[in-house]
Amino acid sequence: MTPSSLGSGNKFSGSLSVVHPAGTVTSTGIFETFIKIAADGVITAFNGHVDLGTGIRTALAQIVADELDVSFARVVVVLGDTSSTPDQGPTIASETIQVTAVPLRKAAAQARQYLVQLAAKRLELPESKLTVDDGLIRTHDNRSLSYGELIGNDVIRLELADDVVVKTADSYRIVGQSVPRVDLPAKATGELVYVHDVRVPGMLHGRVVRPPYAGVDAGDFVGTSLIAIDESSVKDIPGLVAVVRIGDFVGVVAEREENAIKAAAQIKVTWKPTPTLPDLDDIQNALRTNPSTPRTLLDKGDVDSGIAAADKPMKRTYVWPYQMHASIGPSCAVADWQAGQVRVWSGTQNPHALRADLARLLSRPETEIDLIRMEAAGCYGRNCADDVTADAVLLSRAVGKPVRVQLTREQEHAWEPKGAAQLIDVDGGLRADGSVAAYDFATRYPSNAAPTLALLLTGMVSPTPAVLQMGDRTAIPPYDYDAMRVVAHDMPPIVRASWLRGVSALPNTFAHESYIDELATEAGVDPIEYRLRYLKDPRAIDLVKAVAERAEWTPRPVWTPPEPDGDVVHGRGFAYALYVHGPFPGKPAAWSAWVTDVAVDKSTGEVSVTRVVAGQDSGLMINPDGVRHQIHGNVIQSTSRALMEEVAFEPSSVASREWGAYPIVKFPDVPKIDVLMLPRADQPPMGVGESASVPSAAAIANAIFDAIGVRFREPPFTPEKIRAGLGRVAPAPTHILPVPPLPPTRTQKSPFAKPLGIVSGIAALCAAAIGLAAAVLPGRAIAPIARPDASTYSAATIARGAQLAALGDCAVCHTALNGITNAGGRPLETPFGTIYATNITPDLETGIGAWSYPAFERAMREGLHRDGRQLYPAFPYNHFAKTTDADLQALYAYLMAQAPIRAVNRETALPFPFNVRPLMAGWNALFHNNSEFTPDTTKSELWNRGAYLVEGLGHCGACHTPRNALGAEKDAKAYLAGGFAEGWEAPPLTSLSHAPIPWSESELFAYLRTGHSRFHGVAAGPMGPVVKELAALPDNDIKAMAHYLASFNIAVGHDQQQALAVQLETATLSLDYSAPQTGARIYEGACAVCHAVGGPQLFGSRPSLALNSNLHSATPDNLIQVILHGIDTPVSSDLGYMPAFKGSLNAEQVADLVIYLRRQFAPGKPAWNEVETAVRKVMLATPD
Amino acid sequence: MSPSKPSTRLTVNGKVRDVDASPDTALLYVLRNDLELNGPKYGCGLGECGACTVIIDGVAARSCVIPIGGCENRDVLTLEGLGSREHPDPVQSAFIEEQAAQCGYCLNGMIMSIKALLLRNPQPSEVEIAEALKYNLCRCGAHVEIMRAAMRAAGRTLESLAQ
Repeated sequence: MTPSSLGSGNKFSGSLSVVHPAGTVTSTGIFETFIKIAADGVITAFNGHVDLGTGIRTALAQIVADELDVSFARVVVVLGDTSSTPDQGPTIASETIQVTAVPLRKAAAQARQYLVQLAAKRLELPESKLTVDDGLIRTHDNRSLSYGELIGNDVIRLELADDVVVKTADSYRIVGQSVPRVDLPAKATGELVYVHDVRVPGMLHGRVVRPPYAGVDAGDFVGTSLIAIDESSVKDIPGLVAVVRIGDFVGVVAEREENAIKAAAQIKVTWKPTPTLPDLDDIQNALRTNPSTPRTLLDKGDVDSGIAAADKPMKRTYVWPYQMHASIGPSCAVADWQAGQVRVWSGTQNPHALRADLARLLSRPETEIDLIRMEAAGCYGRNCADDVTADAVLLSRAVGKPVRVQLTREQEHAWEPKGAAQLIDVDGGLRADGSVAAYDFATRYPSNAAPTLALLLTGMVSPTPAVLQMGDRTAIPPYDYDAMRVVAHDMPPIVRASWLRGVSALPNTFAHESYIDELATEAGVDPIEYRLRYLKDPRAIDLVKAVAERAEWTPRPVWTPPEPDGDVVHGRGFAYALYVHGPFPGKPAAWSAWVTDVAVDKSTGEVSVTRVVAGQDSGLMINPDGVRHQIHGNVIQSTSRALMEEVAFEPSSVASREWGAYPIVKFPDVPKIDVLMLPRADQPPMGVGESASVPSAAAIANAIFDAIGVRFREPPFTPEKIRAGLGRVAPAPTHILPVPPLPPTRTQKSPFAKPLGIVSGIAALCAAAIGLAAAVLPGRAIAPIARPDASTYSAATIARGAQLAALGDCAVCHTALNGITNAGGRPLETPFGTIYATNITPDLETGIGAWSYPAFERAMREGLHRDGRQLYPAFPYNHFAKTTDADLQALYAYLMAQAPIRAVNRETALPFPFNVRPLMAGWNALFHNNSEFTPDTTKSELWNRGAYLVEGLGHCGACHTPRNALGAEKDAKAYLAGGFAEGWEAPPLTSLSHAPIPWSESELFAYLRTGHSRFHGVAAGPMGPVVKELAALPDNDIKAMAHYLASFNIAVGHDQQQALAVQLETATLSLDYSAPQTGARIYEGACAVCHAVGGPQLFGSRPSLALNSNLHSATPDNLIQVILHGIDTPVSSDLGYMPAFKGSLNAEQVADLVIYLRRQFAPGKPAWNEVETAVRKVMLATPD
Repeated sequence: MSPSKPSTRLTVNGKVRDVDASPDTALLYVLRNDLELNGPKYGCGLGECGACTVIIDGVAARSCVIPIGGCENRDVLTLEGLGSREHPDPVQSAFIEEQAAQCGYCLNGMIMSIKALLLRNPQPSEVEIAEALKYNLCRCGAHVEIMRAAMRAAGRTLESLAQ
């Protein structure tokens, strides 16, 4: 702020404040300040509410600037800081403009009047002779005094008077004008500091680890479920500062954020089992059986007689689902706990109440806590902003340093206090004349204020839930029925729940406005006309009529099926509400009415809200554009809630933990919105933050009825529900199934076939016996040598050896995770137990430094250790034996030229009989052919080169050929016919391939060279490192491998592949509605962003699922693996990365997704069986 | 963990920066914590919501799922690199002009995604814009203003959009 005419530079140091005695002693004294005019020119306005993204910072500045007669740009608004703003309660119920702005406005008017009086005295003129222009008080004869000059060096404090006269509407200059939001330029350029962006010197990063009862905050297990923490589980995390435990509160603190994330994911915490919740798939029953206390809000006329006498009795039940605030930014806070002062930076909605919570948590006086309110992601009610602030304070206290805590998406979704489910019963009916006989309304709303989580987890407050009286918002209908009874059944929460935009008023209005629509239909009267019969509030009547006119509403007294447009029918609905909030009987905010157009696809059940005419009477609009944007926001968010939003639960916790499981509306589905704002500048301003949401669900339900003649009383109006309501069987999928041309299958003779022929199962069993017999024949030891001098090998030989090592994937198996290359230690899971790869660096003692070439060659060809021990065939010597002597020598040279690393081998300890190594001699006798590769003279040189690379060092068959019961690769026809490795399927490389488009030489080349084939997908799992290693080989060798492998496949040209791809992708574009849509929704929210054909261009490849072999395979393993673990080390960063969903989706969700993907993208293939079991198996096998 | 502290060289907003963080660290955390850039925001860590969007080599990228090891020898552009309050990019100006945000947490992703769209398609249609933003989530419901801003940035008339 630059001082100007308001003051005279920095000449003066005084100030004028308008204050109010504080209810509690604040850290700055006993006053709460509303306005402070500094003589240097800065005007600061203080409000205890906060800007949740609605733009109140701008609107409040408008009010203050107008009353003070200064320009808008001079006013700085401070919101919610506990050290400087008045305690005006939580920012709820759209009250800021309507309620908490009132004293601010008066304070501004009072300050202005005081200064004008002062000026009149100094200038010796009556006030009526003075004008004020941007803080400069002028006389007619061109004399002037600025506010700053009047204040001078005095410190003036005025006590806020109640009877201050404020401006009349006709004299506003700034109020009522659309003023651009003050915060947006900084937000659009990354210059605004959100709470997420707060950085304090020395700040550490914290993460919390929440208990397994995710999203549940009542019951004696809350705060008492933690059994133990194994701190050794995170001892390898760099820069880990602390693991903190207080009751069920667990947190980790690290120097770097990514390491705090790793620690939180990795730490082993043992919890007691948690009790199951009531079945929340049946909300009606869960709410009906939840203990409650009836509270009669209204009892007028003789309701019971009215119902008994009704000619057309109508008893209806409306069920609202659990929904989420679903803030886009998971909550975050920074705390700096010091001995004398605790400072916290928070995105809270209720700074003063939170400070009291923090004081309680820390057992320190409130005056020692300074809460600085920062902007955060929009919250629409109570999200986790307070919880994370308390978490940060606890972690900062534990380490004595500033700590930033960021909740994860999963934690925010699971733990945010939900918008509660609601159950509403309406009994009543019509008299013969079509009038309402009676209206008996009962509502159940299981919600409270959701105590700050850390208080519960640490045991500071009891987990016995409070019962609040919050189900009564807008419970009284706006219609003046003769006989009416309204009862709120007050009840505790079932899961953690608190206020969400529209609170209980939105569901209550859904019932009121659905019911009156049903009454009108039954009475054969146009629904708007019918409402007007019972609506007495003149402003309501004006609004309803204005909106009907704007929408060109045509009366529809009798429902007739509309003209269909193919499967699509259109409908139009109306609803009205005056949002009444706050403790009963409450205060009204703005009046709102909707006319909604929908399109319903009767075949699929999809509902589109195509247009909304949203009318609103907000009284005086401080910032009309701001009001318009609030209406837009309410319409879009509440449409999303009505059509698609519903929290899913597991038996004892919340299941929806990311955007796939809790989808919200996306751009292409946003309705056209026509906003009608009634000009009421002469009326007090009303809250606009929520009102326009309130008619939403009813207007949409009424429009759906208008379209298809079916009433829906349980949002969200998903395709499944619409289809069920229509009694429709889902349409059969309309996929056109492409059938690739299949020439006769060609098989290659396995190069590993032994003269004794195919080993049958029985023969394999015999092998064990033979093996035992052979146990007496160990190999002889070959004498150790001094480490060979690497300088005796030519650089070219070593380079060639390096290529061969890459081809053989030596480093892939012989390097531990994050370990030193080839120093061993990597565990290899086999069906027979875990084998630990050994150190193959030339260290004399622990590596192979003492191995002579003959010892090395024998190992490669015979599978014998230098000391004569038999090696397990996890070391694929059956392949390596094919290698030429020259190549083996080059490989030996390379290995010996490496830096020796001392790394003691870990003993492999397989269970009996596999621990009897000499048995392997018998195995060799049966399965091992130690002859070198012999070219097939009937084939080309290229083919033979490829065969040598693939069959030899490349050892492709080690994974891609199925193994028999003794772990040997099967012979003949099974060669490269697909196997399993490390929990991943190694798909068939022959014509048995599951790929919907046959592999061609060029695609094999692309895949082996880049890790990606447009027609098949990207290399993942164990294949990723293989392709990475192949980078060392020249194109010619890769080409040879591709040529050889292609010879096992049907010959197919690029054009043919392209045509098939288009056919497959087109056929799978339309959604298959023949099964539950849970999996489809997860796909759309979690996967489609990177996989949908034609989706947005993003960094990395865009694997097309319709073409992906894994979806067409006989087993779902690879799909499950990649969903759970993602792809964090692609062959090349050009391919992009895939996140792991293991921590975000549960087994059931992954199974739903996998089942959906199979059905949608491999429609010709049979469904996989036991998918959820397979998912759980993979999850268990990889517990981190 | 590797005992030696690795260093990764990044080029962000035209400046070369060496970062001492493990190469598997998500770019988002390095941009925010090491380079102190506030534009890209953490939203989901799964690439689902778009709040973390940056532009890598001219293409929109979800920085929460891309490790810095994959960003070497690439140009990373963030909201800050696009423009400032004093010198905003036309896309930023369009968003400010249309008041296209409420809480503004998703704004970074919206602006960066539209910028990336315009880099490859200078005159997208309304449908193309909506499709380009399909996987950028906004919870406040600023979609109408965001669409208007994107249309303005694309030099399109706004008549077809809701008033």
